[in-house]
Amino acid sequence: MTWDTVIGLEIHVQLSTKSKLFSGGSTEFGAESNTHVDLIDMGLPGVLPVANKEAFYKAIRFGLATGANINQTSTFDRKNYFYPDLPKGYQITQMTKPIVENGSIKIVTDDSEKIVNITRAHLEEDAGKSIHDLFDGETGVDLNRAGTPLLEIVSEPEISDAKEAVAYFKAIRQLVTFLDICDGNMAQGSMRCDVNVSIKKSGDTELGTRAELKNINSFKFIEKAINFEIDRQIRVIESGESVVQETRLYDSEKNETRSMRSKEEANDYRYFPCPDLLPVVISDKELQEIKESLPELPEEKEMRYIREVGLEESEAKIISSSKAMANMFEEASTKTDDAKLIAKWLVGDVSALLNKDHIEIDESNLSSENFGKLIERISDNTISGKIAKSVLEEIWENGSDVDQIIETKGLVQIQDESLLKEIARKVIDANPDQVAAYKNGKDKLFGFFVGQVMKETQGKANPKSVNEILKELLQ
Amino acid sequence: MDKKTVTTISYLSRLKIDGEKEEKIIKDLDNIIEFVDQLDDVDTSNIEPLTNPLEKTAKTRTDEVTAKNLKNELLEIAPSSNEDYFLVPRVVE
Amino acid sequence: MTIKYKTIKEIKSMISQNEISNIEIVQEVYKLIDENKHLNAFITLNEENSLKKAEVLDKSSSNLPLAGIPIAQKDLFCTKGIRTTCASNILNNFIPPYSATVIENLEKAGCISIGKTNMDEFAMGSSNETSFFGNVQNPWGQKLVPGGSSGGSASAIAAGIVPAASGTDTGGSIRQPASLCGISGLKPTYGRISRWGMIAFASSLDQAGPMARTAEDCAIMLNEMCSHDEKDTTSLNDKIPNFEDNLNNSLNGKKIGIVKDLDLSSLDNDVVAVYENSLKEFVSMGAELININLPNLSLSVPTYYVVAPAECSSNLSRFDGVKFGRRSENPKDLEELYIQTRSEGFGDEVKRRILIGSYVLSAGYYDAYYKKAQQVRRLIKNDFDSAFKNVDVIMTPTTRGPAFEMGSKGSDPIQMYLEDLFTISANLAGLPAMSIPNGNIDNKPIGLQIIGDFLNESTILNFAHMYQKVTNWHNYTPEGVRQ
Repeated sequence: MTWDTVIGLEIHVQLSTKSKLFSGGSTEFGAESNTHVDLIDMGLPGVLPVANKEAFYKAIRFGLATGANINQTSTFDRKNYFYPDLPKGYQITQMTKPIVENGSIKIVTDDSEKIVNITRAHLEEDAGKSIHDLFDGETGVDLNRAGTPLLEIVSEPEISDAKEAVAYFKAIRQLVTFLDICDGNMAQGSMRCDVNVSIKKSGDTELGTRAELKNINSFKFIEKAINFEIDRQIRVIESGESVVQETRLYDSEKNETRSMRSKEEANDYRYFPCPDLLPVVISDKELQEIKESLPELPEEKEMRYIREVGLEESEAKIISSSKAMANMFEEASTKTDDAKLIAKWLVGDVSALLNKDHIEIDESNLSSENFGKLIERISDNTISGKIAKSVLEEIWENGSDVDQIIETKGLVQIQDESLLKEIARKVIDANPDQVAAYKNGKDKLFGFFVGQVMKETQGKANPKSVNEILKELLQ
Repeated sequence: MDKKTVTTISYLSRLKIDGEKEEKIIKDLDNIIEFVDQLDDVDTSNIEPLTNPLEKTAKTRTDEVTAKNLKNELLEIAPSSNEDYFLVPRVVE
Repeated sequence: MTIKYKTIKEIKSMISQNEISNIEIVQEVYKLIDENKHLNAFITLNEENSLKKAEVLDKSSSNLPLAGIPIAQKDLFCTKGIRTTCASNILNNFIPPYSATVIENLEKAGCISIGKTNMDEFAMGSSNETSFFGNVQNPWGQKLVPGGSSGGSASAIAAGIVPAASGTDTGGSIRQPASLCGISGLKPTYGRISRWGMIAFASSLDQAGPMARTAEDCAIMLNEMCSHDEKDTTSLNDKIPNFEDNLNNSLNGKKIGIVKDLDLSSLDNDVVAVYENSLKEFVSMGAELININLPNLSLSVPTYYVVAPAECSSNLSRFDGVKFGRRSENPKDLEELYIQTRSEGFGDEVKRRILIGSYVLSAGYYDAYYKKAQQVRRLIKNDFDSAFKNVDVIMTPTTRGPAFEMGSKGSDPIQMYLEDLFTISANLAGLPAMSIPNGNIDNKPIGLQIIGDFLNESTILNFAHMYQKVTNWHNYTPEGVRQ
């Protein structure tokens, strides 16, 4: 029997506003516990929410970038449940009239491209954090995060495997960071996702019963959790039982999902319109202003890099894939004329270092200014490519200034032709056998002489000049 | 309104109805529901629900941090806290 | 000189004529509270602060509109540093870190907040019998209820302890006790007064308002209570008039709507007679009676008993023993913490309403109850909208009768709910409405309700004040007619 998998994702994106969705509390990450808790975040008796307009603007940016409908009048509802880090006993969310509906996004997997439809994206408030393992027999509650604006992006159940799910998540992450509505920092929980997974017999039109996987916070775990869950559901069905509709927690340490049925027991969220909040209306003018302020998106950038800057398609794709990379490229380009060389280095040596360290370029010690200067020093022949590589490595370590490294280490390229000639002569005199062999037609040995000269000059010789001089002397 | 329904809504509301009061509560709730059932007879087709008497749109805030650090004040009024957190009995997930 | 049974206006004049000092006023108030302990009108007193404030006022004469006026605050408003209980065990020990906007506004106007008044628990009740702190007594009779939920405020004014008090009204909680205690009380238009710091019962219905001996004093209070408040997005931006400006306008040619659909046959003849007599007074001042139809009015009580419990079930979820208020002893786990705390903390009526609310919002019942009720609510509002095209105010009795005896409504909650038959519709439609004393039945006061159009408190106050100029019912006290 073959099975088809049907996956839908609910991605919670923390919007990068300064203050919370309904209070003037700060959204800063990593502050001392319970220091960013306003009276409203605390859910004290008598307090009232006031919506933060900026959260709407950020949600609308997402909506416009995914070709969605923007509900210019949107409303808030209450979702009622008890949990210690939910101070009011209800979460304010947008159930009936979300700000964004019916968008779509293109995803790319190894072999193909696919459009995934987005059912809706709605605003809601984040909960606080419960800390279960810090105190003996007690759970601590930190409400700093309570009330942080979230955009919950709900996909249609159109994703067919774990790889696509990851590609979808990556596409959303790329988009929200380009739009500057979320920092995309998964380690800090700025993006989290719930995954709905069900399986059905190949060819069946009716969807199977789904399980909702919670608590997934990295690309790796999305893939693992889904694959585990697909296997589990197949096992369940093939053993003659049926899949239960439930919430399951992904345990990354054990790589398994387990039922949270106890929590689900008799759950009924009793949604109803929040009587404290009147409908929020976005004017045509506001909408127009947001449209005009939308940044260039990855695909547009890629096309421009190819057409206007003359990059290779593969280079353009990599550079436009992340906002940080594109920013580095564009900013460094203002420091030097050789944009193509910047691209070559970004895609080559810089990417290699990023991969080695598993970081994003904006987390590295490389500033766009320093990088631009490095490329400039290559194009103006101050240093060779080889030396540049070692300079880059040093910057990578400690962020030092390019010119300072070149100066303190005496790395300036030797341009003095008479000096180079002298060194070349020494090399030729010292290697009579090789000279003879070369002259007898062993052309390959030319590289040997170049290498020897470079060695003598600690790599500082201008390779072009060395080539010319050696050619002349060996004739 | 039967016992099972009352048990469910009591749990949703995190309330416990004492054994001796249960019968009376069920009867009261039943009467109240029967009383409000008269709304059934009203024709409300095409009537938009009125959730707030102000048929206006919301005023909103600009994105500014205005809150002060109230950590000590807030933890102090909590029934159980240490110097950093509100405390509840250990929650097992 | 005494301030007992005096109005704000009279006390202001006594202060300005130097007939009494601010400190003497405060001292007398606490003496009166002590003499009237049996009324159980107050939950928490604010004596030390009040004396201090009076002392300061005595040293520097102030021309603030309420300078030195002793005012009782319903214990539903958060008061910074002063215990605020909502008459519930669950908030027995709650000291808010902030004050309600209404409290700040009144205090900025110079008033002295004497103490926090008793009420029905979380404002759910019509007799003040649901308070965790015990029944409030109506000064008009030992066994009589003062009405509810603002029963403590009404009782304190009726006993002459304070000239005015703050109240809140979700289904009649200002007007019904005003009627039963023989005082004046106004529920303004929804949104007129900020709800910031008012502990929510039903957010789309709750509105704070003034309670006082006279309509004129209500106008003076209302002037100070209203403000545009950025902290409450349902607080209105509309211009706030000076509510004293139109008090003396002539009623000649003004139109009073009389509700044809209102079935008065279930009321005592006396109640109907009192009502009709006051209509005659208005006619003699030149007003005209116009029959109007409010066909859906009879649905207001069932509508209310879906909407209000639904909102309350959610609003009261924050009382869970985690962040503030009372927590049950030694809960073995989180579930027990929630269930024990809430079961011990809330009284029966509050529990009943939470359960009803959870029920009407639960899956499968939402459309049949909650949505349906909000649709009927619109029909009720539409009825008022068309009625107000033809009339200036609408008049009804405020209550079905004068004060009843404690415990007399039996154990059927619906009998108590029907107590609010005349008052609830104004909350559902968000309209301003007032109760003023208009008669006495067996030496028990009773009130007339005047409902106005949206934002039209001034017109209501005009009718009420003109009535009080030609009648004496507002001067009746349990000890006889005041001079």
